Amino acid sequence: MTVMASRVRESSWNNPHGNFESVSKPLSPDQRFAAEKEFSSVLVSTVREAVGDALGRNVLEILTSKGLLDDASNSKEFDRKLESLFGNGAAVLERIVVKDLNRKLGIRYDSEASFDYGKSLETAREVCFAESRLR
Amino acid sequence: MSGSEILSTLLGSEVRGDLLVLFHRNPGLIDTVDGVARRIGRTTVAVISEVRELLVLGVLRQKRIGASEVVFLDRAKDRELLESVANHLKTVSIGGEK
Repeated sequence: MTVMASRVRESSWNNPHGNFESVSKPLSPDQRFAAEKEFSSVLVSTVREAVGDALGRNVLEILTSKGLLDDASNSKEFDRKLESLFGNGAAVLERIVVKDLNRKLGIRYDSEASFDYGKSLETAREVCFAESRLR
Repeated sequence: MSGSEILSTLLGSEVRGDLLVLFHRNPGLIDTVDGVARRIGRTTVAVISEVRELLVLGVLRQKRIGASEVVFLDRAKDRELLESVANHLKTVSIGGEK
């Protein structure tokens, strides 16, 4: 992940406007699949760490057994599940997840800015895809 | 206090979430409120009332060391509270499904 973050930082130096689409060739279907898989894996491990560190391993295991992490990269579905379990606390957990995810990917997190879980995941996904293009 | 109420208190704000993560990742941490605020990248003003909520709940405790008041995780109470949360979550259906 450190390699990924440093590569991402390199890419943003080359591309200070953060427009990942314009600087490199499109991904082949195989590369796209691999990038999606990698992103999903990073996201699931981040959700596990965030929930586990906030509420403990017991809670994490219960939530896992209830299917919280099934299709975790579908932000709307994940959001729906979290809200059904935690109500207003869902937003707190989502912020913890995004903060950790951004740290892993070298993306700046601004706690004062308005928060949208879906958009934040989309940004993180773009960074993962940009990383795949650089390989 | 029910598991549901404990959960609402624990996740009552973003700062409280950050505090929980900080102390769970560093269970031996003993620091002043100023120090804790710095560690999570917040101001003391933003953190002080959130620390107070966690002190009232019992997940954090406070003691005096020299001239400083410090806070730390009460591991036994933390385990007990998270157990109540876990028992509560066992009874809740996810996404409205039974």
